[in-house]
Amino acid sequence: MTEATDLAERAGDRDPRIGLRAVSALRRLLEQLEAVQVRSARNQGWSWQEIAAELGVSRQAVHKKYGRQ
Amino acid sequence: MFERFTKDARAVVLGAVEHAERMGAETVEEQHMLLALLDREGSRGSFALASLGLDRQKESVKEALAEARRRGGLSRAEVDALSGLGVDLSEILSRVEEAHGVGALGADGKDKGRGKGWWSGFIGGHRPFARGAKGLLTESLRIATAHKDRHIGDEHLLIALTSRPGVPAEVLADHGVTYASLRRVLYGGGEAKAG
Repeated sequence: MTEATDLAERAGDRDPRIGLRAVSALRRLLEQLEAVQVRSARNQGWSWQEIAAELGVSRQAVHKKYGRQ
Repeated sequence: MFERFTKDARAVVLGAVEHAERMGAETVEEQHMLLALLDREGSRGSFALASLGLDRQKESVKEALAEARRRGGLSRAEVDALSGLGVDLSEILSRVEEAHGVGALGADGKDKGRGKGWWSGFIGGHRPFARGAKGLLTESLRIATAHKDRHIGDEHLLIALTSRPGVPAEVLADHGVTYASLRRVLYGGGEAKAG
């Protein structure tokens, strides 16, 4: 059992350090999952417009972030 | 700040850029700095690593870094924090790899596979340092100053790496290289521990 799990179990979400670390980890995970899905959609021939619509962002935003190919 | 870097410290920074390029990473990160530190020979940093026995465990360190990349570069502390929320990273990882291939999560975000076009030569020359890697350089300066060392050597980069949370520090600690053990071999025992 690692220190962080111990802490999490003892303090639940009351320890801000664990809570904040989880949020930051989720954010990084989210970014990577988004990249995986966008890449996969592009490989399957999706347009930036279609991808943007599913992600709920503008076409420009998604193209700026993942374009350049 | 760079004029105070020793030859070895400069070689580490340049080596990190090369590792990032070779791995197709968008930015130079702390893991690339660690890989470059492992490459050094005859430097104060490599002396410190050798006296902690790491010279014989370089492959193991590289494997641990690769494993961390595969789980999206998240440290074990972060994986544990996620699990505290009920998010099982290994479950997510296995589903992503099932659908998109092994290593999909660790692949660089910006369409790495297909994007290797004519422009990559230009980009390669201007690969930016990630925020963590910049922080590491700043921290190494702070550490050198605190020890009244006039120059910033690769040993300061190494200490800085162990003083910051994240995958490199975790991997090093798993191999017996910590902030405290490094300070012991570099500055002698009896010093106060990390502040």
